[in-house]
Amino acid sequence: MSNVILKVSELKTYFFTRRGVVKAVDGVEFELRHGECLCLVGESGCGKTVTALSILRLFDSPPGKIVDGQISFDSLNLTECSSKQLRQIRGKDIAIVFQEAQSALNPVLTIGDQITEQIKLHLPLDSNRTRDLAITLLSDMGIPSPEKVMSYYPHQLSGGMKQRVLIAMSLSCDPQILIADEPTTAVDVTIKAQILDIFRELKAKRQMSTIFITHDLAVVAEIGDRAVVMYGGKDVETAPVSEIISNPKHPYTIGLIDCLPDIAESGERLVSIPGTTPNPLDMPTGCTFHPRCPEVMKICSQKEPPETAISKEHKVSCHLYT
Amino acid sequence: MKHKLNHKLLQIRNLKKYYPVTAGFFSSHIGDIKAVDGVTFDISEGEIIGLVGESGCGKSTLGKTIPRLEEPTGGKILYRSKDITKLNKKGLRALRREIQLIFQDPDASLDPRMTVGDSIGEPLVIHNIGDEKERSHRVAELMKQVGLEAGQAGMYPHEFSGGQKQRIGIARALAMNPKLIIADEPVSALDVSIQAQILNLMMDIQEKFGLAYLFIAHDLSVIRHMAHRVAIMYLGKIVELADKKELFENPLHPYTEALLSAVPSFKHKDKDRILLRGDVPSPLNPPSGCHFHPRCRRVMPICSQVEPKLSEISVGHFVSCHLY
Amino acid sequence: MVETSGDIVKGVGRCMPNRTRLINYYWQRTRRNKLAVFGLAFIIFLIALAAIGPLFTLDPTEANFEETNMPPVRFTIEQSVYNIETDDFTTTKISGTWKHPLGTDSKGRDMLAMIVSGARVSLLVGLIATGIAIILGTIIGVVSAYLGGWVDNALMRFTDVMMTFPFFLLLVLIVFIFGPSLAFIVLAIGLTGWTGIARLIRSESLSLRTREFVVAAKALGASDNRVVFRHLIPNVISLIIIMATLSIPGVILAEAALSFIGLGDPTVPSWGIILESGQHTLETAWWVAVEPGIMLFLTVLAFNFLGDGLRDAFDPKSNV
Repeated sequence: MSNVILKVSELKTYFFTRRGVVKAVDGVEFELRHGECLCLVGESGCGKTVTALSILRLFDSPPGKIVDGQISFDSLNLTECSSKQLRQIRGKDIAIVFQEAQSALNPVLTIGDQITEQIKLHLPLDSNRTRDLAITLLSDMGIPSPEKVMSYYPHQLSGGMKQRVLIAMSLSCDPQILIADEPTTAVDVTIKAQILDIFRELKAKRQMSTIFITHDLAVVAEIGDRAVVMYGGKDVETAPVSEIISNPKHPYTIGLIDCLPDIAESGERLVSIPGTTPNPLDMPTGCTFHPRCPEVMKICSQKEPPETAISKEHKVSCHLYT
Repeated sequence: MKHKLNHKLLQIRNLKKYYPVTAGFFSSHIGDIKAVDGVTFDISEGEIIGLVGESGCGKSTLGKTIPRLEEPTGGKILYRSKDITKLNKKGLRALRREIQLIFQDPDASLDPRMTVGDSIGEPLVIHNIGDEKERSHRVAELMKQVGLEAGQAGMYPHEFSGGQKQRIGIARALAMNPKLIIADEPVSALDVSIQAQILNLMMDIQEKFGLAYLFIAHDLSVIRHMAHRVAIMYLGKIVELADKKELFENPLHPYTEALLSAVPSFKHKDKDRILLRGDVPSPLNPPSGCHFHPRCRRVMPICSQVEPKLSEISVGHFVSCHLY
Repeated sequence: MVETSGDIVKGVGRCMPNRTRLINYYWQRTRRNKLAVFGLAFIIFLIALAAIGPLFTLDPTEANFEETNMPPVRFTIEQSVYNIETDDFTTTKISGTWKHPLGTDSKGRDMLAMIVSGARVSLLVGLIATGIAIILGTIIGVVSAYLGGWVDNALMRFTDVMMTFPFFLLLVLIVFIFGPSLAFIVLAIGLTGWTGIARLIRSESLSLRTREFVVAAKALGASDNRVVFRHLIPNVISLIIIMATLSIPGVILAEAALSFIGLGDPTVPSWGIILESGQHTLETAWWVAVEPGIMLFLTVLAFNFLGDGLRDAFDPKSNV
C-alpha cells in the first residue's frame, strides 16, 4: 500500500437545524494516497460536498458540527486541531476548488489581485516574484496572454477560463492535496474536456493527490484511480475505478451504472432506480438505501450493513455480502 | 421506437432570430446578437429530433422561436404546411394546442402560488375545454399517466421533489394532446437516477401518443439514447444533421467530431481526444466565413472567407463545411 | 433544499381546499419567528383596543378642571399650585387614582381614554393612508412593468420627480393650504408615499415576467390578461403585503410628527396631538408625553417585526 497522505475515519458531520438534525455525513471512511485521484461519487444530498468541506472545516459552524471521527493529515487530526493550524493548512497544504466559478471569484477585484492575494497569504515573496509566479501559474493552466489576464475582471472571462483561474489559484502554494468540488458540472462538454485534461496533467506532471467530487460516473471513469460511492451520508462502496466499472457490488452502484444512457442500447428503456433520494431529516432505518433496493432483504431495514472486504482494495457495505 | 416518415409536421426554412444591441444616449442600433442565424430542418410526425450544442449556440432561442414565444426576425416556419410566422392571435392560440413546451428548471416553470392540479388544468381552462368536472377528471387522468397520484392535485409545487415537478410539467404539456413537444433540457437539472425515470416516461408517452419531440440538450449521451435524428448547432447555425446512428458513427463536421470525442465515456476509456482550443466566440461578433474556423483543426483558407452551406452529403446526412 | 427533496408525498388524504394550504404553509413559517409573533399579538391587541376600547373608557374630550395633571395610578408627585389666597405656592402631594389609571393631562382629560382613542386614530390613519399609497403604487408599478416602452419611461420619470420632493415639506404645504383636517392629512400622506412601493412592485413584476412559469403560461396560450391577473399579481401580492406592513409605521409616525409640530388636527385626539401637548410639561407631568411615546414606539416595533417576519416567510430561499 503506497503512502497514505489523508485518512478519514468514521467522519460524522451533523447540522443542527430548527427542523431537526441533518446527518449530512454519517460515518464516512476512506484514505487518499499520494499521487492518486480519488473520486467521491454520488447524487445530490449524499454528503460528498459536506465531506470535502469537513476536511477543511469550511461549513458554517452553527449549525454544522463534526460530531465524530478523525481526519489524519500530516500527523494532525483535522477534526480537532485549532483554527489557527487549520488556516495555515488551507490553501497551502490542502487547496479546494469549488463548483460555481462565477461566485468563487470576487467580481470587483482583478484576477491579478486575487491570485497575488492568495500567494501573499502563504509565501514570503516580494511583489515582483509574486507577480511572476502568478503569471507562470496562469500560463501553466493554458490561459492565453496571462499578463493581460492579470488585469482582467472576472466578468471579462468565459466560464471555462474562470474555472482555470480558480485551479491556478489553488495551485499557487503547491499544495499536497487538491479537492475539486464538481468542477465539470456546470460547464459545456468541450470545456469539460479541457478541464479534465488539466487534472490529468496535474496528476502526471506533479503527482498531485486529488479528491474529485462528482455525480458523473463517466468523469470518474475518465480520470479516477479509485472511487468512493456515497449514498445517504455514508460510503457504500470503495474500489479502484476499473473494479467499479467491471465488477460493481453494491446495488446502488449497479443501479447508478445501469441508468446511464451511455450504456443502454439506444431505444430501450433505461433501467432506473425507483423512488427518490432520502430526506436527510428522516433517513430510513438500517441501510439507508433499502427502500429503493431491488435486492432488499428483511435485515436491511433493521440493521446497518457492516463493511465487507470483497478483495484487498474493494470494500462494500451491504448485507448481501456479509 | 417507430415513427411515420410520411407526414411532415414542422418545416423550418432559414429561420432567424436577432436581438438588436443598442448603445449610446439615443439607443442607436449598433449590431445584432444573431442567436439563430438561418436554420433549416424538418420534423416529421412522431419523430424525435435531438438538438445539441453548447451554451450560446442558440438552441434554447430556437426552441422558443418555433412556437413564436419569441418573434422570428426572418425565415419561415411551416406547421402542417401552413406558415405560422404570419398567424394572427386566434390562429396562434390554436397553434398552442398543438405545440407544447417542457422546461429545464422544474422549480421555475411552475407557478408557486397555484396548486399543481390548477397548473396542469390551466391549458384546459385557457382553451375552454370541458366543464369543471370534466377538467378535474382529465387532470386526474394526466397525473396518473405521468406516475403521480391524483390525490396530490391539491398540493403546491414546493411540496414535491425535482423529479416530480418535472412530471407535473410533462402532464401539463400533455393536457391538450399536442402533436409536437419542444423539450428544452428537460433532464439537465435532475439527478442521474431521476433522469432515467423521466427519460423513460418521455419515451413511453411518445410511443403511446405518437408525439414528435424537439429534444434540446447538451448531454450527448442522453440525445444518443432518445433521438431518431440529431442536429448539431454552433453559433446560431446548424452545422450537421443526420440520423442518430450515422452521426455518432460517422461524424463529418470537425465540431461534431470534437464534441463526440469530448464526451467522457464510462465504457470506452482512453480514446483519442480532440481538444478544442479557445472558447466559444461571442454571438455579437462571430468570426467571418465559417463561424467555427478559428477553432477548427482542419481549417483551410476558404473557411475564413466564405460561409459554407448546409448540403446533403449522403442520404439524410447534411453538413455545412468546406471539406465536402 | 431540505423541504422539497425527498419530501415523500403521502397520498390521497391530502386534499384540502386550495388557498388554505398555502396560507397555512406561510403561517407556519411566520410562526417560528418569535418577534413576528409578538408583533402580530400586539397589533391584534391594538386593533381590539381601538375597536371596543372606547366603549369602556371615559370620554377623552371631557375636560375636568378639578382633576388636572394627575399622575398614573400608584405614582405620587408633588405639585406646586399657586394659591390665590395666600399669594404663594403651596406644594401638595397628588396620587394617581384608579378612576384615571394613566393619569390626566393639563385639562383634566383622562389619559387612558385619550390613548385608546388615539389608537383608533393611528390605526385608521395607518391603514387608510397606506391603502391609498399601496393601491397607487401597485397600479403604477404593474402598468409600468407590463406596458413597458414610453409608458414605463414616463411613469418612472414621474416617480423620480415625486421622490425628490421633500416628503415632509410637501405635507406641511398641503396642510398649510388646506387646513389641518385629519382627512387631508391622510390623503396627503397617501398621495406622497407611493413612490417607493411603485418602484419595488415594478422591479418585481419585471423580474416575474421573465420567470419560466410566465413563459410557460404564454406557451399554453394564455392571453396577456390572464398572465397578469392569474400569474403576475398573485405572485406580487406577497410583496404588497410585506410593503404594506412595513409602510404603516412610517405613516403613523408621519401623522404623529405633523401633530407634533402643530399641524395636526386638534379636534381629533391622536397620539401625536397628545405628545405635542405634553412636551411643555415634561417636568411636571411627564406621563402626558411618555405614554403616547411608548405606544408609538411599541406600535412601530410591532409592525416592523411582523413585516420582517413575513418577508422571511415568503422568501423561498430563506431558511425559516
